[in-house]
Parts: sequence; structure tokens; C-alpha cells
Amino acid sequence: MKKILQVACVAITLCLSIFFAHGCSQDSNLSATKISSKNKYDLYIFSSKGEISQPFKELCNIYEKERGIRIRLQQIGSGTNHLEPLRIQMSSSEKPSIFSIQGLRELIEWQYSKTALDFNNSTLESFKNLANEIPPNFRLTSDGKNNYGIPYSIEGYGYIADKQMLCDIFGENNLKDIMRDLKVSSYGEFENFVKSLDFYIKTGNVRSFELNGRTYMPQKDKVGLAKNLEAVFSVAGAERWTYCDHMVNIALGAVFKSPFELLNADNTQADSMKGALKKYAKSLDLKTSHAMVKRGPEFINVTSGDYNRAIKDFSDGKTVFIKQGNWIGPNISKLNPDMLKRLVVFPVKMDMSSEDIKRDDMTVDKFNRSIPVYVPNFFAINAKVDIKEQELAEEFLVWLNTSDVARDYIINKFGFIPYNAPDDLVLDSSLNNSILEYKRSSDTLAAVYHGVGENWSKETLGLKIMEDYLTKTDWQENDYNDIACFAIEKFKELKFW
Amino acid sequence: MNKYYKKWFWALVLPSLLLFILVILVPFLLGIFYSFTGYKGTFFLKDRVATDNPFQAMVGLENYEKAFNNESFQHAFLYTVKFTIIAVVVINLLALILAILITNIKGLANLFKTIFFMPNLLGGLALGFIWQFIFEVIFTKFFFGKDGLVPIDFLTNMTQGPIKPLFALVILVAWQMTGYMMIIFITGLNNIPEELYEAAEIDGAGAFRKFKDITLPMLMPSITIVFFLTLANCFKLLDQNVALTNGAFNTRLLALQILKTPSDYLIPDYGQAQAQAVIFFIVIALITLLQVYFTKKKEVEM
Repeated sequence: MKKILQVACVAITLCLSIFFAHGCSQDSNLSATKISSKNKYDLYIFSSKGEISQPFKELCNIYEKERGIRIRLQQIGSGTNHLEPLRIQMSSSEKPSIFSIQGLRELIEWQYSKTALDFNNSTLESFKNLANEIPPNFRLTSDGKNNYGIPYSIEGYGYIADKQMLCDIFGENNLKDIMRDLKVSSYGEFENFVKSLDFYIKTGNVRSFELNGRTYMPQKDKVGLAKNLEAVFSVAGAERWTYCDHMVNIALGAVFKSPFELLNADNTQADSMKGALKKYAKSLDLKTSHAMVKRGPEFINVTSGDYNRAIKDFSDGKTVFIKQGNWIGPNISKLNPDMLKRLVVFPVKMDMSSEDIKRDDMTVDKFNRSIPVYVPNFFAINAKVDIKEQELAEEFLVWLNTSDVARDYIINKFGFIPYNAPDDLVLDSSLNNSILEYKRSSDTLAAVYHGVGENWSKETLGLKIMEDYLTKTDWQENDYNDIACFAIEKFKELKFW
Repeated sequence: MNKYYKKWFWALVLPSLLLFILVILVPFLLGIFYSFTGYKGTFFLKDRVATDNPFQAMVGLENYEKAFNNESFQHAFLYTVKFTIIAVVVINLLALILAILITNIKGLANLFKTIFFMPNLLGGLALGFIWQFIFEVIFTKFFFGKDGLVPIDFLTNMTQGPIKPLFALVILVAWQMTGYMMIIFITGLNNIPEELYEAAEIDGAGAFRKFKDITLPMLMPSITIVFFLTLANCFKLLDQNVALTNGAFNTRLLALQILKTPSDYLIPDYGQAQAQAVIFFIVIALITLLQVYFTKKKEVEM
């Protein structure tokens, strides 16, 4: 009996070891496992846009039925760390055929390792056409020529406001005018406007101000939503990406046309950002000094300064503006669905002079009326999977962007703004429509910040601003200069080339 | 019994040995190997040439050089040393004091033991978030703020500033670990024969003398263990650090520094992170070996 037990023990151990050894050998034994994996799926999609996981899964099911293929789908929320799981998949024998790249800063890794397929090398005609038709400003490219991504959607951001709020503050008669003038006003005018609003909110007294040369004044009595107002801006002080990716990006847009220009910028070009970055700091000062939470230690605390809290304050009508993009739509629809139909977006103003603007196709006026409209996430194709799988991936992406059923899903179920939206497209969300307006009039800035890593924006500049500046009540003129100098110095240290 | 173990030795040891080899030893050796390559997570890079073959991307000691010259690694190293020294002293003292108090009370001793031990049951991340709330809201607004019960500026906004976060983490870790260490001390204290104290009393020894010449030497085996556990655990602390400050205000401890190193570069530098991990391992091994050696020497044989 004992003998049998002993043998059994050794046998179990051996089985275990074979099991483990098999697991370890998968990497080195690619061809053998490929065949076995082929039994499980034909197309493997790794998507880092978990917010649309349910409808995206439905859409994939439709495609599976239509084409008779099997799709393996893995989805991860875009706010969570998607890169580590993706890298694990990329190192395994079952590599995703389609994967997500969130902008140029993430492309570098996959471009270097020759994982991302340059669509110029694609063989499928319909896919090549799709790739070539992507507008130049929405392309995932590191030099302007190569082309690595099919956009998920486009997003835009700026100062979001509730039309009803503006109506209650300034009266219905003035609403149309003030919306038009707010859009094109200069920084100086906007600053005055913010101060008058602040004065009105804090004291209940009114003071006139000018926008685009016209004089306005809040209504004498606070009515409707205006009664709840507590501050001009709702700011998430603990979320560094809001002020050091998105807000900095607006200033970078005065210097560079596209992210790859920033990626390839030399030290002289880096120095040329100084003026714009100073104006960024000034604009950040204006925003954060008129926020719900007073600038100071509490401003950056997670409990009082996080993203959800900021959106909650805004959706409760405690503030006039929040600097965010159309991605807050789903949050707002949960907190205050009525508000969702009334949201509009205005440009984040910065006090740029013509010397600060280094682009030949940009003027101060155009800058004042522009908002960033860009692609936050791209579908890329894995050049390391076999050619048949690549072709399946290409076919899927063509279908995703050309078929009627997919278009319906993208607009109505994902709630996206399609990158190839026709000019007459009207969407459900007023926020999305507001962003489309900017796109149609070409008053847009690119996601220039994708040309530099988060190690610069969020982890270096973001930490500096959060720790040293947002915690103090008063900023001086030289603080703007210090922030700009620090940003440039660190940019030179951390830039890729 | 001995015969049983002799006969069944390999059958009993093999599963654990195998797991150890596959889950710890192999990744460990692989990690050491990767620290000499330009490992980027999914590929290898040397002189801007990418390859899938690690042997074509051997970079020698370059990763170690980068690690030693990396300012945030240097800072994290010093910060970890500072944190560990303070935390070890605080935890050991608190645990010993609590243990002595509890062995000297009757009745509710078990209740207190349970209460002091409970924080140890919570995971590090959960603890970190709980204490973040305590520091930011309870401490800052209710207890120690300007309008609080007892205004003490140092205890407000403890997750911010150049010095405060270090002590915030010490408070958190002490709260978590003291109960566990206290249990070890209590066991040690209970093992000291009562006769020794009686004899000392007859010889006219006071409380301090009894503590210094009986309790401490007799407690040395427990102290060795507690010292070892706190030292090693504090040195490789990660979860609490992530949840409480996540590296803001220069609060990266070594483990977090290693975790964040890949994302400090546009192309993730796993090679350098791996080199940092190897250095980290050597330092921990050295410190704990030395500590066990020295405290063991102080233990007395009965």
C-alpha cells in the first residue's frame, strides 16, 4: 500500500512538473502552440476602451455571425493600466491581432519592436483606402508618412458649460450672443468675465464686462440654477492629467501642429515653447484660483480633488465651468441626465501674443477660438501575427468603419464621435455636437502632448505643479516663468530623441 | 518518525521544491539575466536596434550603471533606509510596551490582544486608502486642523510636504504591524520562568534592573524574530506606499521605485528596473543576514 502511495506521489509531482514545463515552453515553441490556438479563435482583439465593453462585444458577435469567424476579445478600461496586460499578451504565444494604442506616446514602443504594422505596407486594397482616407490630423504617425492606427473616435475638450446656467445668469435674451462671444473672446476679456462671475457668485452684486467687444452683465437677481453657484470652475486638483496633459496640450498647440513635431523637436524648438508655457501657467492660475476648493493643501487631496468629485460639483450646478471633454458624458448622464442635453464647450483661453505662437498657420484669434479635437485611441494591427490573421484584422477594421451596422453602434451605442463623421451628422449629445462644430470650422488643435511621455507631463511637470504650486494660495508673475523653465528643462532631459 | 521522513523525503519535498524552483528560482535567475540585457518588456534593444533575441542585446553593466546614476533610485534608497530605521524602532518599542502591559493585566487581556492584532488582517492597499482618508479628512478637518479638537499643524495634511508623508507611513505601518509583533513578544515574555524574577527580587533588584538583566536577555530570541520581520517588511514595503501617496512628494520607497521605473521612460526600461531589483535583493539579503547574525549572538542559552 505504502509503495503504491509513494509511486502515486511521485507521479503527481511529475505530472505537475510536466504541466509547468509546458507552460514555460510555450514561448519558445511558437509554431506548435499556434496550431492549437488556431482552434480557439481566428481573430484576437485587445481593446483598451473598457467603457464600451458590452456594445463592442455585441458588435463583435454580429461580425462573427456575418463572417463565420471566431473572435477572442479582451477589454480593459482606458483609465486603468492597460499597457502591462498588453505587454504580457504580446510576449505570449497568443498575440492579439488588433490592439489599442493610446496616441503617439504609446506607439514608439510598438514601432520599435516592429509589432505595429505600418498600413502603407498593407496588401488589402480596401483597408489601404480606409487608412489613406484618415485625415492627416487624426493619424497615428511618428514622422508624418507612416500610418499605424485606425481611430476609435474623436474627442474634444475645453471649458464645458450648461446652457441653462448661462441663461439663468445672463438672461435668455443674451444667451445666443454670449455663447458666440465667449467662444471667440480674448484671454483678457475672459479673465474679466471670470472675475465678474466670481464677484457675482460671492457677493451677489453685478459688474459689467466685455466679451468680443460687447458689454454684458449678470442679471441682478439670482434665478434658477444660478442660485446654487459656489464657484466659477470645478477643478480636480489631484488629477494631474487634467492640467498637465490636457491643459498643457493647449499651450503646446500654439507651438506645434502635431504630436510628431513635438516628438522630433530639438532643443531650440523646446526653448521656443517658453512663451506659450508661461501663458499656460497664467491660465492655470486663473482657473485654479477661482475653483470650488480653495488652492492649498486641500486642493490636491484625493478626497476633495478627484475627478468624480469635480464632475459631481459641476453636475450639481455648483460651478459654471469644468475643463473636461465629451468623455464626461456617461458620468453626467448618471448624475444629471437633463444637463447632458444642454452642455456646450468653449475654448480654454490663454494669453498668447503673436510672439508666443510659433506656427505659421496659427493666429492669436484662431487660437482663442480653437479647442483640441483629436483621436485618443487607435486600433493597431500586429505585424507579428501570421499574414492570414493580419488580413482578417484588416477586414474587420474596414467593416467596423464602413458598414451601416457598425456605424450605428459607434454613434448610438458607443456614444462616439466618428472620426470620419459626415458634415451633416447630428448626434444625440449636445457636447458631441458642440465638438463637431469646432471640427467643421477647423478651429482645432491636435493632441500635441502625445508627442512626449507621461514621464514628462504627468510624472514630472504634473508633480511639480501639484506639489509646489497648487498647494499655495498666491502665485507671482515669476512663478509662471519658473513653471515654463522647469517644463522646458525637463523636456530636454526626458525627450525621446 | 525519523524513519518515516527518511523514507518519504523526496515525495514530501518534491512538490514544494518544484514550486520553489519554477515560481521563485527560475524567475529570479531569469531576472538577473535580464538585468544584463536591454530588456524592454516585449523585446530587447541595444544601440537602438530591436531584437527578440536577448543574447544579441547584452549590455553588460549598463543597466547597473544607469540604476546607480538614477537620481530617483538614489533618493528612493535613502528614503527607504530612513523610513525603515524609524519604523523598526517605533514598531519594536510599541510592540514591546503593549506586550508588557498586556502580560501584566488580567481579565481583558485576550480582548486587547485581538483588537491590537486586527489591523494586521487588512491588506496593504486597503489600509493605505483607509489611512489616506483618515489623514486627509479625519486628522485634517476634525482632529488637528485649525478648527479641530486639538490644533496640531504637523498632523494635518500628512500626505503632503517634504517630511510629513514619511511619518504618515510610519504611523500606518506601526498601526498595522505592532499587533502581530506584540503577539510574538507576549509568547516570549510568557516563556521567561517566574523564578528568575523571584530570585532577582530576593537579591533586591528593582523593576528597571529586572527588565534590563532578565527580560531583555531572555527575550532575545523574540527580538531576533521581530527585528527581522519588521526590518525586512519595512524595507520591501509596497502596497501601503502605493495607496497612500503613490510616490508624490518624493515618497517612492525602493519597491515602488522599481515598479515605476519602466514607465519613467518612453520605451519601458525593464532592464534597468531589473538591475534595481537585483541591487535591492542584495541589500535586503545583506541587512537581514547581518541583523540575524548580530541579534543571535546576543541570545542566551537556558
